[in-house]
Amino acid sequence: MMVVMTRAQRTLYSVLGLIGFLLFWELSLRSGLLPGSLVPLPSSIPGVLWLELLDGIWFDVVRSSLSHYSVGVLLGSTLGIAVGISAALLPRFNAAHAWLARLLRPIPPLAWIPFAIIWFGINPSAAAFIISIGVFWINYFASYSAVHSIDPGYDEVARAFGQQRFLARLTKVSLPAAAPGILSGLRAGLGQGWMTVVAAELFGIPGIGQRMMEASSLLATDIVVVYMLTIAALYATFDFLFMVVQRRLLRWQS
Amino acid sequence: MTDTSMTMHPVLSARNVSLGFDGTTILAGVDLTLHPQEFVAVVGASGVGKSTLLRALAGLLAPQSGRVEIPAAITPDTRAWSMVFQAPRLFPWRRVRGNVELGLEGLSLSKAERRRRALEPLALVGLDEFAERWPHTLSGGQQQRVGIARALAVQPRVLFMDEPFSALDAITRRRLQQELVELRRRTEAAIVFITHDIEEAVLLADRVMVLGNGEMDQPARVVETLEVDMPLDDRRDHPEFAPLVQRVETIIGNH
Ligand SMILES: Nc1ncnc2c1ncn2[C@@H]1O[C@H](COP(=O)(O)OP(=O)(O)OP(=O)(O)O)[C@@H](O)[C@H]1O
Ligand SMILES: [Mg+2]
Repeated sequence: MMVVMTRAQRTLYSVLGLIGFLLFWELSLRSGLLPGSLVPLPSSIPGVLWLELLDGIWFDVVRSSLSHYSVGVLLGSTLGIAVGISAALLPRFNAAHAWLARLLRPIPPLAWIPFAIIWFGINPSAAAFIISIGVFWINYFASYSAVHSIDPGYDEVARAFGQQRFLARLTKVSLPAAAPGILSGLRAGLGQGWMTVVAAELFGIPGIGQRMMEASSLLATDIVVVYMLTIAALYATFDFLFMVVQRRLLRWQS
Repeated sequence: MTDTSMTMHPVLSARNVSLGFDGTTILAGVDLTLHPQEFVAVVGASGVGKSTLLRALAGLLAPQSGRVEIPAAITPDTRAWSMVFQAPRLFPWRRVRGNVELGLEGLSLSKAERRRRALEPLALVGLDEFAERWPHTLSGGQQQRVGIARALAVQPRVLFMDEPFSALDAITRRRLQQELVELRRRTEAAIVFITHDIEEAVLLADRVMVLGNGEMDQPARVVETLEVDMPLDDRRDHPEFAPLVQRVETIIGNH
């Protein structure tokens, strides 16, 4: 039998699930079921966060990571959307780049770390570059398929009403018709950016990732957890804000 | 055909037009000359090639052979032609008024004039109250009427209409048929009107062009073009109305 729940009930169960998990974690440590050297006590996390905030370390590393993140996401999204849309609209360009794209696509962003260091040195540009690669591919494929699958009937309407020039078709048909797909690509890219941000900082570029490495070498698992939660919170905030914008832009949808 | 229309230049001329897809020809040998204010109805069985013919006449589809000419618009705030598609095909990301303004963009009109030129035909199809709505909040018939307003807004010299009323209820349909009769008096536009409703064709047109399938595997062609020689008012009551409808039905039945 399907269990039908109200929204309030669902929220209640979600909260209970989370509290239950934390309680189980806390108790297994306190009872000695889990060794304290592997994971920190959940109840110790707020205090550790407070210390990181007092020191100013939290702000420094978050600011630093955010700057790699925003540059990388901005760059990757812009290029990905531009190349994806061009490929879908310009058959010659599409054919010319198809094999190159197929060759480069499977290379994971982190495999670019050696080149990032050679090209940029161990500095923020290298991290931004690595972040932008993963974001690029997500936006590229989302934009390409969004534009590619536009109902050709819309283009015919545009032509029938004097909007046949490339720029008019782009702004009056391709972009708005593909907007839902392009926007969900952007949103996925915002998530993907956080996945790579930590990894990109592991090799010594200041930021959340570097702080986590530092902490783990001192076995300060509580600090590691503080930054894991920080990333989760930043991701949730960005995703929420983006969703608000997305809903506003797509209010024409049923 | 009146004397004035003989001396005026045609707004559309098609010579020996053949069309099809991927090497196969579906419709061949179409000739059509239209002068201002003329109204041609095209009838024929489903799939015979009516919509395809319309797209070729409008220049949206290149004919396999033959040629189509539509002279340019006379004034910079109008267009040479426009089309009402078989399905409404509104842009869901534009409000109703934005959809009607589509063809007006790029013409020499101020924003205010554009707005006025969009609201006028919307009022004609009875939807001026809906100007700021999103298309998905409209019924199918209302969307189709927006499509008609969009085509009227550019004040075309040739108006192509692909079964514009077939999705509408009988009452709205009658009203819009009446509006179209009125429109013919007020504008210079020539109209090519596709319908599968033979009464509608005889009711509105000066000429009814009947498309029919050829012998086995041959492309379809124009089997007959009939002149409708009745005054536009109260045609349904005219003694020649029913016999002409009957005749067209017989012609279609034989092909
Ligand atoms: N894009 C296309 N590619 C290939 N064949 C097509 C295409 N469009 C139409 N056809 C074919 O051309 C023929 C004529 O189609 P068309 O849409 O012009 O018919 P129609 O007379 O308007 O029919 P209906 O009354 O059902 O609207 C059909 O056999 C159809 O399958
Ligand atoms: Mg058709």
